[in-house]
Amino acid sequence: MIEGIGIATLALLALWGAVAGIDLVSVPQFMMSRPLVVGVVAGAIVGDPMAGLRVGVVLELFALDVLPVGAARYPDYGAATIGAVLVVAGGPWVSGVGLGVATGLVIAALGGWTMPVLRRANAAAIAGRLDGLQAGDSATIRALQYAGLARDALRSGLLVVVAISAALLIRYLQPLGDEAALALTVAVIGAGLASALAGAMRTAGRSVRVRWLMAGLATGLAVALAW
Amino acid sequence: MVRGLGSAFTRLFAVQASWNYERMLGIGMGYAAEPLLREMKSTDAPRHADAVRRSAEFFNCHPYLAGLALGATVAAEYAGEPEDRIQRLRTALCGTLGALGDHLFWAGLLPAMMGMALIAAVLWDPWWGLGLFLVGYNGCRVVVGWWGLRTGLAGGMRVGQAIATSWIPRARFVVGLAAGFMVGLAVPLVGRFQLAVLPRPAAVAAIAVAVLGLGLAYRFGPTFRGVRYGLFVVGMVLLYYGIMP
Repeated sequence: MIEGIGIATLALLALWGAVAGIDLVSVPQFMMSRPLVVGVVAGAIVGDPMAGLRVGVVLELFALDVLPVGAARYPDYGAATIGAVLVVAGGPWVSGVGLGVATGLVIAALGGWTMPVLRRANAAAIAGRLDGLQAGDSATIRALQYAGLARDALRSGLLVVVAISAALLIRYLQPLGDEAALALTVAVIGAGLASALAGAMRTAGRSVRVRWLMAGLATGLAVALAW
Repeated sequence: MVRGLGSAFTRLFAVQASWNYERMLGIGMGYAAEPLLREMKSTDAPRHADAVRRSAEFFNCHPYLAGLALGATVAAEYAGEPEDRIQRLRTALCGTLGALGDHLFWAGLLPAMMGMALIAAVLWDPWWGLGLFLVGYNGCRVVVGWWGLRTGLAGGMRVGQAIATSWIPRARFVVGLAAGFMVGLAVPLVGRFQLAVLPRPAAVAAIAVAVLGLGLAYRFGPTFRGVRYGLFVVGMVLLYYGIMP
């Protein structure tokens, strides 16, 4: 087992990732699946809270670009952040953040692809119980609801297992040299900043909100320079 | 009729648990309606079966505002409204509650609170940032959900008027402005937090990547997606260093 990260820690990470995955859509949507939340908690679980914060903050910048509207397919950042934190934990995060976040982005995209599969499985289950629904049978509705929840729990569980496995493999292989790892960190931080601002500008459109965005940006820049 | 209100409210937290492309929120709405409709079973069993069937038919709106539609349709069922009027009410509420909720929560309260949380996390303490976000956001969400269910039950077929004259349209506007400001404020501070630990040339390169991304976002408009851009720049770096074939 990898130094400092035992089976109990991995199990706790998997549990936390599955909870975050279910929270994303099914229940209770308390925003526990946000990368900042998942990252900080995951960092505390593995004993490296700063790595959790740094990874969570970058992935949160990407997540701010996403509007989870209607039937849209959007990335699942819960398990992705777990994987990203696990890649970075215990190592030098100046160079590790890039590889961790890159892993997280791939897993988030993969998680997004699992959503339509889940939705189609729910639809198929409903098609199989149309008689009960047409008869106004409450038990049928309850059964479909609980089955949908169980499917999402399975989806989230499998995704977090994939995320943890990928992270452990990357930790074992150490695929990047120092220079490439730093370049990756530069790339993901830059892309994250662009992502959050692009999302904010898209949401603002041409409304008065643009002026408030610009006022915030100017204030933030002034504070950042004076920091 | 108010019997089962707490149970229905709790079930609304799982309104999307069986989300699907055919009925969307339908099954979740039926599940949440069950406790409210239970009383009808003893007084009018055939109407109860019809009401349960209708409650689980196609429906879609913002999940946090689903209580408004749930309350209104249940009130209409108890008032003995004909099926076609209830169907029209559900159809009318789909678009209205979807648009209102998306603006109020996804494009408003969520980025506003998350901007605040990011600032608190990088300037102060990550746990305070998380606490601020989770308590603040979910506090608002729970209060709005409870208000929605109560307003829907009181409004019945006239719920549209109740929504139009409520605080929601005004709040949507104000929260939207706050979201713009907070995200704008948070991005440079988060950038400073992340870049301060990098060597100066690396920090400059990160800013260049950000500026390039903003240029692409301006060029491609709504089709630009941050995750795609992130994967693109990651791919470029890996290709450059010969990691990928």
